[in-house]
Amino acid sequence: MTIVTGKAEARRRLQSGRSGVLWKMWEHRADYAYVLPAIAVMLIVIAYPIYYTIELSFFKTPPGLQLRDKIYVGFDNYTNILTSPVFWKVTWNTMIWTLASTFISFVLGFGSALALHRDFIGRGVLRAILIIPWVISAVAASYIWKWIYHSDFGVIGAVLVGLGLADRPPNFIDNVSTVLPSLIVVNIWREFPFAMIMMMAGLQTVPEQLLSAAKVDGASAWQRFWHVTFPHLSSVSTVTILLLAVANFNSFIIPWIMTGGGPSNASHIWITHIYELAFGRQLWGVASAYSVLLFLILMTLGYFYVRALSGNERKEGSA
Amino acid sequence: MSTIAGTAPRGQTRRRIRVDGWRWAGRIFLVFMLLYTALPMIWMLITSIKSGFAAMQFPPQWWPDEPTLASYQKLLDPQNSVGQDFLRFFWNSLFVSTVTTILSVIVAVPAAYAFSRFRFPGRNFLFFAVLLRNMFPAVIFLVPLFILMRMLGLVNTHGSLILTYLTFGLPLAIWLLKGFYDNIPVQLEQAARIDGATRFQAFILIVMPLSTPGIIATAIYSFIGAWNEYIYAYTFLSKNEQLTLPVGIQRFFSENTTDFPGLMAASFMMSVPVVVLFLVLQRYFVRALTEGAVKH
Repeated sequence: MTIVTGKAEARRRLQSGRSGVLWKMWEHRADYAYVLPAIAVMLIVIAYPIYYTIELSFFKTPPGLQLRDKIYVGFDNYTNILTSPVFWKVTWNTMIWTLASTFISFVLGFGSALALHRDFIGRGVLRAILIIPWVISAVAASYIWKWIYHSDFGVIGAVLVGLGLADRPPNFIDNVSTVLPSLIVVNIWREFPFAMIMMMAGLQTVPEQLLSAAKVDGASAWQRFWHVTFPHLSSVSTVTILLLAVANFNSFIIPWIMTGGGPSNASHIWITHIYELAFGRQLWGVASAYSVLLFLILMTLGYFYVRALSGNERKEGSA
Repeated sequence: MSTIAGTAPRGQTRRRIRVDGWRWAGRIFLVFMLLYTALPMIWMLITSIKSGFAAMQFPPQWWPDEPTLASYQKLLDPQNSVGQDFLRFFWNSLFVSTVTTILSVIVAVPAAYAFSRFRFPGRNFLFFAVLLRNMFPAVIFLVPLFILMRMLGLVNTHGSLILTYLTFGLPLAIWLLKGFYDNIPVQLEQAARIDGATRFQAFILIVMPLSTPGIIATAIYSFIGAWNEYIYAYTFLSKNEQLTLPVGIQRFFSENTTDFPGLMAASFMMSVPVVVLFLVLQRYFVRALTEGAVKH
């Protein structure tokens, strides 16, 4: 008896709790109408693909997208990936690519923002020019740089030969050891303006009074930067770095167009590798398993992203 | 106000006579960044006005002996096959980007408004779900989306691209617009509602006009994003007459690998619409991006 009443009690409590939320949702029913179009589109195009990718990662799929004939293989795809040497090569490339691109883009962008913070003649024009690489298509950027790096007629090679730094034009992108750094230079070219814009906006929020107070107290330019400006920008910097890291981790176009991952996987990063597995070799199951792993990594990054963002909001609320 | 604020620091800097090392470092740094940014684009322009023969020389002609607009004429001439293709790609890109932009604004405006104003259960969850979407790469969605599009009969149509771009543009669009709505005082709407307007009327008559800069910015972002998108267009479209510019150019020049002046001219023309759009509406563009992350 007591057990039954205990259960009933619990159920009642559960129901009332749930109906509390439901009641609240019902009270706000009109509000959902505003969000509904966005949610509906995203459910179809985002939720379904994620579910499907997870499902497919447990199957072996014959080529040709005849996905009805897929065979269940459990975790085989995962173990195959984690034991293959290509996986570790590509992971290493991805780490170098993401860390180097993110760090250097941020430093160059932050530096430009600082240098552009003070008013001078032509500041607007200069700022506009520096942002242009970010606006133009990555495909166009890839072709421009591919031509600059060209092994016979590339302008960088010609300059190096002209200055006597090389006997013959170096081969930048058909060389296992130079290809990744060369592509990172292109990526930074496109990415640093983003960091610059974000940090420029951040700089505008640094209170002038604090800076002049520090000056009156005899702080040097470096001290003012390090003790006033920089701490003030910590949350903007976090968000910027995270956004850059995610974007770089997800890069595809530049390596794909410029090298296609070659020579001998030296410029393959995760995304290009997954693409090749799926659409080049039609290994849908393996590619899906890769995607799920990628997903997990991104969720981890995403956790920090959300935390950084909600940290911002909290600070704002208290201010 | 602004003039006073502007002159005060300038007066201070003039008073300081001693050479400021940091300032010089900043200037040198800016020159370096300017070269890094501009030289590749300048080289693109110089190459595009060379003849095919002049481009393939070592050492290169720093300025072409015989500048020619032949590459541009070829791309823009509807009479020859290259021009026909290029103009069709251009038109396809324009169509897809414009429709995407209009739909994005229509869907994002109410959503962003709701995220900014209402406190419904699950609001935070939904908002972060929106933001999280930004984190996942196209490749994760490619295979299932391709299958989905096949089921919907949309493969090889521009509809597949518009639907995809719309979805993937939405999180950013909502985020940007929310920043603008957050800055519009609620009191304005409340005043309108006291005067007898419905919530919807207040939204249309008061909030919409005030958020025009935000809507413009969102529209530019959607347009540039759709214009430059490559991976979905590359996967979903296979018929030559439907390709958008990035894919079309790649297809074309994987067949004509040595026509670098043509490739540079095409890259330049592909960049013109977005760069012009950006330069004209720069103010909104930069403001919107930062509004979400760096609120004042």
